[in-house]
Amino acid sequence: MRNADFLLLCALLLAVAAACKSGPPVQFPPGTRVLWLAAADDVPTLDPAVGYDSASWAYEQAIFDTLVRYGDANVELQPDLALSWEISKDATRLTFHLRRDARFSNGRPVTGADVKYAIERVLKPSTRSQGAEYYRGIAGAADFVAGRARQVAGIELPDPYTIVFHLTGPDPIFIHKLTMPFAAAVPREVTEKWGEDFSHHAVGSGAFKLSQWISGQRLVLVRNPYYFAGGLPKLDAVVELTGVNEELQWLKYEAGEIDVSSVPSPEFPAVMKSPRLKALTIHNVTVTTNYLGMNCQMAPFTDVRVRRAFNYAIDKEKLLALLNGRGVVARGVLPPGLPGYTPDVTGYPYDPGRAQRLLEEAGVRKGFAPVLWMRADQTMLLLAQSVQQDLALVGVNLVLKPVAWGPLLDAVRQPHNTQMFMLAWEADFPDPENFLEVLFSKRQWRSNNDTFFYDPQVDRLMAEAAPIADLARRFELYREAERIIIGQAPWVFLYHPVNYLIRQPWVHDYVINPMRPTRLEKVWISPH
Amino acid sequence: MLAYVLRRLGFGIVVLVGTSIITFIIAFVVPADPAVTIAGAKADPQTLALIRTQLGLNQPIYVQYARYLARVVQGDLGRSYILRQSVTRLIAERFPATAILALCAMALSLVLGVVMGVVAAAYKERAIDNILLVVSLALISLPVFWLGTMLLIGAGFYLRSFPLGGFSGARSLILPTITLALGSGGYYSRILHTSLGEVMGQDYIRTALGKGLSRRQAMLKHAMANALLPLVTLAGLDLAGLLSGVVLTETVFNWPGIGRLAFEAIFNLDIPLIMGTVLFSAFLIVVANLLVDLLYVWLDPRIRLGEQP
Repeated sequence: MRNADFLLLCALLLAVAAACKSGPPVQFPPGTRVLWLAAADDVPTLDPAVGYDSASWAYEQAIFDTLVRYGDANVELQPDLALSWEISKDATRLTFHLRRDARFSNGRPVTGADVKYAIERVLKPSTRSQGAEYYRGIAGAADFVAGRARQVAGIELPDPYTIVFHLTGPDPIFIHKLTMPFAAAVPREVTEKWGEDFSHHAVGSGAFKLSQWISGQRLVLVRNPYYFAGGLPKLDAVVELTGVNEELQWLKYEAGEIDVSSVPSPEFPAVMKSPRLKALTIHNVTVTTNYLGMNCQMAPFTDVRVRRAFNYAIDKEKLLALLNGRGVVARGVLPPGLPGYTPDVTGYPYDPGRAQRLLEEAGVRKGFAPVLWMRADQTMLLLAQSVQQDLALVGVNLVLKPVAWGPLLDAVRQPHNTQMFMLAWEADFPDPENFLEVLFSKRQWRSNNDTFFYDPQVDRLMAEAAPIADLARRFELYREAERIIIGQAPWVFLYHPVNYLIRQPWVHDYVINPMRPTRLEKVWISPH
Repeated sequence: MLAYVLRRLGFGIVVLVGTSIITFIIAFVVPADPAVTIAGAKADPQTLALIRTQLGLNQPIYVQYARYLARVVQGDLGRSYILRQSVTRLIAERFPATAILALCAMALSLVLGVVMGVVAAAYKERAIDNILLVVSLALISLPVFWLGTMLLIGAGFYLRSFPLGGFSGARSLILPTITLALGSGGYYSRILHTSLGEVMGQDYIRTALGKGLSRRQAMLKHAMANALLPLVTLAGLDLAGLLSGVVLTETVFNWPGIGRLAFEAIFNLDIPLIMGTVLFSAFLIVVANLLVDLLYVWLDPRIRLGEQP
């Protein structure tokens, strides 16, 4: 009995400690308009200089404002902190005129200096920001990074509400880099006070402000009383429960405990068969391409006939069936919805006979056994097994190698290491450069060009297109580059995922942006 | 006694240093670049190089380890690559949730195990003993993830009697506690049943029975203390395991504990967090072992730790 007493005492003490740590339960007065969400993973950070993932961005864009942003359901530029802007003809100077009524959630007005400070903070090597690369094209950035200058000379502030960016060369997509949360205005006094802990004390000028964040449990945002847009946000608070796996999310959705949920694969067919539930689903084709890369420097993939044969051999419609139809067959590199995309691309239809002939012509013997690297993930494995079956029909005995994400990224970046791999690329900017230059230029070898593809003509076309601000001409050059890439087939072009969510009937105006997380300012909840 | 405790603490430090070396080497040889983990898949080579330099990842492994160890002895377990927070703080935030769950589960499993074990031993080779044997084997065999999910669906979703996961007060503790406790409760009952059976056959118990004590009195007053010794050993080590985190239960019930934190760290190859959670688990096991040994002395005064016979 003495043991039991001792254990109970410990339990009691720890219960008190735990209750203190778990914070007060989330309770709101009746009538508060709260959007309840859930996610499997914790939000990594709310520091806009640091976060570079959709979980962080979803809440960073609710707390912070950038000069310009995208529409709720599209990738068209809209004013945010900037009311208007001008871009010089040669795309080397951008001038933004800021609104005067924007305030941080601590009440302090937002000025151009806050945007300049934010970008300098991103560029500062000690911040270790993943966004630094996007702003290295600003004049004076190199000196600032090297410690030769105390500020970035190319960011000029003629008055508190005007900010001018001078670039070292033409960059027609620089304005898109300013839509990323990296460039969100942050109050210097708050970031300097908290240092690396700014994430837990984030103060921005967005529609919401951080109220509570308990690691592994929940994140609570409440409306920012100083938000400039009248009548917004329409919600009083947003609560994200973290660490909720997909199955538990579904139970919570069905119990009415959360307002928006993903749909687990086993439930998806039933949801789509139910007219009531189907009407509550929201979907959008993501600006993403899932592909199977082939290392163009490793035999036999040095032979374009082999790469084309693999394209013909793999049945992409079957892959979509395995995904319950949650995707669109990819015919080329660029996803639909990305400016510059053309539906004219035909790609490679499923034709195992033709694949077999091409393999024979290339001298690939039956029983050839390449290794396919992929993320150790249930869905990826399912798709890879389908690819394995398809290739077996043309005499290729594919070996599957599922590995963790980190080792996969490390492996594909080594030359002469991975023959084949399955990856996806999601756009950061709505421009073909973000796919074609990043994934197929020789400059990106050992970085993101993991197929080690090289075609001098493609590189030349992309170099010619990059500084051109005239979109028609720019897209024409990129289309030509994409046409050559498709012909050279360094990838098997698989599919563009379609993102499906389901909302409760009382949730309105919750829309999926094809490239960025959902914005929450206009979401509203009817009485229920 | 004091010398024994100090010696054991010394061994404990050796174990912790050994654990840290092994974990560090494993983390070092895993074919993944920590700079890519930090900077993400899209990072350019310049950013990666900058991160490697800043974190000292280009230095030899022994230099990196020495720097790590120097920080650890000051209580700094580094910063998580993914969650961008202090590992010490993350563990401190998550440990109470794990501790409360572990202690409640341990208490319930001990109660279950002792009650079932004593009843089964008291009615040895009778119907009730056989029934309890089947029940305890069934409890041991139940997979935690299945049991947890069924409890969530049945008691949480359909009956609406308990919260659907999460850590939101005493009621949220009940389903994960039951999930964790049933299996070990069944196991403890079998251990105690066997142990009591052996002790009840010893001479001093026969003497007690001969002096007129009932079987129940002899069992509870004289046999229990000795029969509990193997259970203490097991429960002490189990408690250390539970305190290190219970991945499946925490995942099923969205319980914000150490287990889920460690699982996510491994999944993301978040090396500082992996190192931190492994070291913390090793520390708990070392402490639990020491406490079990001390508890032995408390339960059985004949045992004198560290003394020569």
